[in-house]
Amino acid sequence: MTQSLDLLSLRAVSKSYGPVPVLHEIDLAIRDGEFLTVLGPSGSGKTTVLRLIGGLESVTSGAIYLDDRDISRVAINRRPFNTVFQDYALFPHMTVAANIGYGLSIRRRPRPEIKRRVTEALDLVQLGKFADRYPAQLSGGQRQRVALARALICEPRLVLLDEPLAALDLELRRQMQEFLKSIQREIKTTFLFVTHDQEEAIGMADRICVMESGRIRQLGTPHELYYRPSCEFVARFFGENNLVPGKLGVVDGDFRAIDTPLGRLSCCIGNQPDLRAAAEGQAAFAVFRPEALSPAGAEDSVNRFSGSVRDCAFSGSSTVAHIDAAGQHLRLRVPSRATGSQFRQGETMALSFSARESHLVLA
Amino acid sequence: MNGRSGRYQALVTLLAFALPVFFIVAPLLMFLAYSFFSVDHGEINYTLTVANYVRFFTEPVFLPIFWSTCVLCLSVSVICVLLGYPAAYFLTTLHGRWRYIMLMMLMVPLLMSYVIKIYAIRSILGQSGFLNTMLVGLGILEKPSSLFVFNMNAILLTLTLLLIPFAILPIFLALERIPQVLLRASADLGASSIQTFMRITLPLSVPGVASATSFVFVLAIGDFLTPQMVGGVNGFTFGRILYSQFGTAFNWPFGAALSVALAVVVIAAILAGERFGRQKGLPR
Repeated sequence: MTQSLDLLSLRAVSKSYGPVPVLHEIDLAIRDGEFLTVLGPSGSGKTTVLRLIGGLESVTSGAIYLDDRDISRVAINRRPFNTVFQDYALFPHMTVAANIGYGLSIRRRPRPEIKRRVTEALDLVQLGKFADRYPAQLSGGQRQRVALARALICEPRLVLLDEPLAALDLELRRQMQEFLKSIQREIKTTFLFVTHDQEEAIGMADRICVMESGRIRQLGTPHELYYRPSCEFVARFFGENNLVPGKLGVVDGDFRAIDTPLGRLSCCIGNQPDLRAAAEGQAAFAVFRPEALSPAGAEDSVNRFSGSVRDCAFSGSSTVAHIDAAGQHLRLRVPSRATGSQFRQGETMALSFSARESHLVLA
Repeated sequence: MNGRSGRYQALVTLLAFALPVFFIVAPLLMFLAYSFFSVDHGEINYTLTVANYVRFFTEPVFLPIFWSTCVLCLSVSVICVLLGYPAAYFLTTLHGRWRYIMLMMLMVPLLMSYVIKIYAIRSILGQSGFLNTMLVGLGILEKPSSLFVFNMNAILLTLTLLLIPFAILPIFLALERIPQVLLRASADLGASSIQTFMRITLPLSVPGVASATSFVFVLAIGDFLTPQMVGGVNGFTFGRILYSQFGTAFNWPFGAALSVALAVVVIAAILAGERFGRQKGLPR
């Protein structure tokens, strides 16, 4: 990745509120045109990152560069970014059209131009008929789209979205996710999306930046984070991974042995040099997804052990069996079948997972 | 059991309606009725007549004073709002406890007796009062001026001083209700602080300004004590004429007719305040 592709970069940015540090020397580069999601639990500092970039807060130390120009001290109204706020923050005394045109009229664009661009923006967010309504007369999803149109109309270099879907119900949120993603593809503007919802992050982002306690834990594609988490926090945060503690053994090509209560397992280390270099005997976790674990009969897999079914949960398209194996709680997910569950409570069964579908993280 | 609680509810409902009817609507209707009576040698004549209203509209004393009083009270409300708005805005810029301490300080004058406040202001405005002494001391005036007391200026100044808290409070409440995130959104969209004030803060505080204006206007126009005490011979207001009809002139029917004229203006002011106080696009 060459420097010139980065739109915005945070370099060793720290932020504290009084004596309380919220961000610890964050380095983050946002690429031009990407959909980057900052994901983390509440209190992880993800919203602070957004506020620092937007100019609502100023950095305590470090700097923010836009095209290699330091903008850390540039005032909020002079930054070429626009924000979609969590509760939309639409101006209640203005019509939808006036809300959307606000940024242009502040910039004293001529009236015909404002009118034309507002119409375009309304069409983009499919609200053509609502131009003369007031925000109070709109539904949550419609307000959301007005807020988006208002942020996009000034053609910002970067759109900041602060958990904009949090207030919507599940069905609407799904629709808005697809909608946001399609708009972003259409206009090719860089989106920085902050959320605490990992499903949302996986569904929309080109890249995800996972944060915890004011630090970036991992930055990568949803696929990488899902299958190749780099630390215990990310492994646990993304879905319902199985983590089995153990001690590292010898390296064998792309794999490395780990001694666990389930016996000696072999897990993939891919191209992560720190896993290859880590000393033998060091504490680590074998990580594999519930859908990678399969009941017996599995082909050539080296990772075999037995466990007993403790519980079984049907959740529509898939069924999850909770399994007790040598004191470890594991989850096994299989597609559901009309003929009923193949698990019986208390039953002991042979289990295995493929080394390719597994991963290691250091403890 | 249902019957008893039902009867109890009916009684409460009846009371809730009866009290305002008895204490507010009935007296107003009585006043309205009185305005159609007349006075004959100190005795009230109960035959209906519109003579009182004819007198109000035709005699050349009443209408000019009526209009000049309306203009005076409108000026008082405009001045109160112009002075109260910056004060209220300043309050909203304070944080935490200080905001409410300052608000309390501004409201303290409301706790003092009305008459005492008028006396205090009169002694400040008087010929040898604080204001004149100060202006002469500073060399702005050569000798004490009589411009500040016993005329219309005095009424204007005194009413403004007395009523300004009633302007600050509704404006402060309206400003405080504006979500901070709207101001951030405005800045985010490129607006300077002046642009944000003109296009977001000011329009959203219009309801507060409207109720402040109608509040002050209604209180000012109903006041007869202040003009009586600081107005002197030159400061004649409608309230004073009204007062004299019930006192020295002892013409209750004519007084009632004047009150009805005043009530019409007051109701109009309240309705106007309500009309402009409604926020566009906000459900009420």
